[in-house]
Amino acid sequence: MRFGTRRMVFLSLLISLGTALHLVEALLPLPLPFPGVKLGLANIVTLLALHLFGLREGMTVSLMRVLLGSLLSGMFLSPGFLLGMSGAIFSTLLMSALLKHSSCFSMIGISMAGAAAHNSGQLLAASLLLQSTALLLYLPLLLLAGIPSGIFTGYLLNSLLQHHKKSGILSDFFEQNSFNDRRN
Amino acid sequence: MTKGDKLLLAVLLLFSTLSTGLLYSRFSSFSRSSSALQAVISVHGDVVRTVSLPVATRTALTVQGRVGPSIVEIEGSRVRMREAPCPGRICINQGWVGQPGQSIVCMPGEILIRIEGASPLDGVTR
Amino acid sequence: MTRRTILPIAVLVLLGGLAWFQYSRRFQEYRSDQFLMDTLISITVYGKNQELLRTAVAAAYAEMRRIAELADGFPQPGTAAWRSSDICRINDQAGKAPVPVDDDTVAMLLQAQKYSRLSHGAFDVTVGPLMELWGFGGNNPHLPSPEQIRAALTLVNSEDMIVNKQDHTVFLRKAGMKLDLGAVAKGYATEKAASVLAQYGIDKALIDAGGNIRVIGRNSRNSPWKIGIKDPRTSDAIVAILPLVDTSAVTSADYYRAFEEQGKRYHHILDPRTGYSATHTISATVITKDAGLADILSTVFFVLPAEKSLELAATLPGVELFLVTADSRIRHSPTLSGTIEITRSDAYRYDEGR
Repeated sequence: MRFGTRRMVFLSLLISLGTALHLVEALLPLPLPFPGVKLGLANIVTLLALHLFGLREGMTVSLMRVLLGSLLSGMFLSPGFLLGMSGAIFSTLLMSALLKHSSCFSMIGISMAGAAAHNSGQLLAASLLLQSTALLLYLPLLLLAGIPSGIFTGYLLNSLLQHHKKSGILSDFFEQNSFNDRRN
Repeated sequence: MTKGDKLLLAVLLLFSTLSTGLLYSRFSSFSRSSSALQAVISVHGDVVRTVSLPVATRTALTVQGRVGPSIVEIEGSRVRMREAPCPGRICINQGWVGQPGQSIVCMPGEILIRIEGASPLDGVTR
Repeated sequence: MTRRTILPIAVLVLLGGLAWFQYSRRFQEYRSDQFLMDTLISITVYGKNQELLRTAVAAAYAEMRRIAELADGFPQPGTAAWRSSDICRINDQAGKAPVPVDDDTVAMLLQAQKYSRLSHGAFDVTVGPLMELWGFGGNNPHLPSPEQIRAALTLVNSEDMIVNKQDHTVFLRKAGMKLDLGAVAKGYATEKAASVLAQYGIDKALIDAGGNIRVIGRNSRNSPWKIGIKDPRTSDAIVAILPLVDTSAVTSADYYRAFEEQGKRYHHILDPRTGYSATHTISATVITKDAGLADILSTVFFVLPAEKSLELAATLPGVELFLVTADSRIRHSPTLSGTIEITRSDAYRYDEGR
C-alpha cells in the first residue's frame, strides 16, 4: 500500500472539503448573466493538495471532488458533470506544471492560470458536446471572469499557507507523514 | 504578486480583451445561429434551386412549375415571384419576402420559395 | 492507484461520456414539402436515424393523402378521384340513398355533427350548397342574391345528415344537400399524420398544413416550439407567440379568398345560420392537442361572438382560445396568460387577463 494512513486521512479530508465547497458554490450562483462563471472555491483544495503532495494527489482530490459533488447533487453523467470533469483535469494539469516553477509564480498566479484552464477545458467539452464552435466565442468572457476569481482563491490560499507556516499545524503532520511514506 | 503573476495577468487580460473585441466586431449577436440566409426554391416538393442571400446583382430565375414557367426575382436579401402563369396570381400579389421562415407558395404551379436561416419562430399558424 | 492509472481512467471516463452524449444528442433534421388538400403541407421531423425519418414522413403523407382523397369535394364526376371521394359520393346520393363510407369519414362527420350541436349551428358540414353558391370553391367568388341564400339555407342542417356508425353509411336526407369538409378534413388529416409519426417512434416533429400547426414533443433545442399567430391585418407580422409542446394550433381568419362587392368585404367562413360571412371575429386560433378538433373549433369560435366563444372554450377541457375581434381587440382564454407573448399590443387593444 503506497498511501500512508495519515496521508490517506488527510487526502480524504481534502476531498470532503472540496466536495463541500463544490456543493456550497452550486448553491451560490453569481449574479452574472453568463452560465459557467463561478468563484472556484473548490480549486483552493486542489491547489493545496498539489502544493502539499503532488500531481497524483491533486488529481485524485480534484476528480473525486467532481465525482462526489455530482453524485450528491444528482448531476452524475449530466453535461454539467462532464464539463466539470474536463475543467478539473485541465486546471489540475496546468497548476501542477506551474507549481514546478513556483519561484516565478505565487499561489495567486497559479490559481489564476488554473481558473483560466478550468474555464477553457469546460468550454472545449461543451463545444464538443453541442458540436458547435460558436460556443468558443464565449472563451474570452470566461477567461476574463476567471481572473478575479483566480486572484481571490489564490489570495485565500496564500493566507491559509501563511497561517499554516506560523502555526505549523500542517508541517507537523507532513514530517510524520513523509516519514510514514519512507517506511512503506 | 510576483513578476510571473503579473506577466500572467497581463497576458490573460490582453488575450481576452483583444479576442472579445475581435469577435464582437465580427459577430453582432451571440445568439444568432451560424446558419446563413438562403432562398430555397422547390417544385412539387423537390428542391430545384438554392440561392445564398444576399445576392450581389438583381437576378431573375426561370422555374418550371406544374402549369408552366414562372419567373422568380431575387434582389439583395429579398425574393418575389415576378411572373407566373397561374390564374389567381396570389404568389405575385404577395410581393417581396426576405425574413427567415417566410415563404411564397404558388398552389397551381406547386412552387414553393422559402427563406431559410435562423428564425426566432418554429412556425406560424395562419 | 498510481499516477499512471488514475489519469488515463479519468480521461477515458470523460471521453466515453463525451462520446455517449454526442451520440445521444445527434439529432438529424428531415423536412419534406408536399402540395395536398389545396395547400402546402410541410413536415419537419428530428431523430437519429435518417432512414426512419424518411419512412415515417412518407407514411404520414400517404395517410394524409388517403384522407384528402376521401374528403375531396371538387373532382370531376366519373373520374377515379371522384369515385374514391366519400364526400362526392355522399353528395351525389343526397336524397336518394345511404352511401357506404370509410371509418375515417364516419369519424370526421360524427365529430363535425357533435360540434354543430354544441355550437347550435354556428358550424355545419352541410354548408356545401352555400359555399357553392358563393363560389368559394372556385376562382371567382361573388355575392349571391338574398333569395338565393335563403333557398340554399334550407339545405343546410347537420340534423339531416344521418351517420350510421354500425353500417358505416352516410345519408343526406334532402336532395341538393352537400357536405363541405373544408373546416374538418385538413385538421383531421394533420392529426392522423401526427399519430403515424408517433407510431414510427418520432418524438420531435412539426407538421404545418397550410398554417394548421401540429407539434410533437419539443423543438430541436429541446424547448417548446415557438409558434407565431399571423397578424390578421398586417402582412408578415405576428400578433402573438405561443410556446407549444405536444399540441396543435389552428387559426381561422378572414383574409383568405376574401373579396369586396358593393363596398362590403366578404370571406369564405360563412355563418351557416345566416348564409353570410361571419363578422364578429377576424382571427380565431384554437390550441388543443387534437388538430382535428382544433380545426373545427377554430371555425366555431370564428363564427360565434367573442364572449360566447370564450365561455364555450372554458367549458371544453384542454382547449385554449386566442381571438382578434372585429373591433380590434385581443381576447384569449385565461389559461394562456403567462405563456402567450403578445407582440402587437400596439395595433390591437389588449387588456391582460380579460
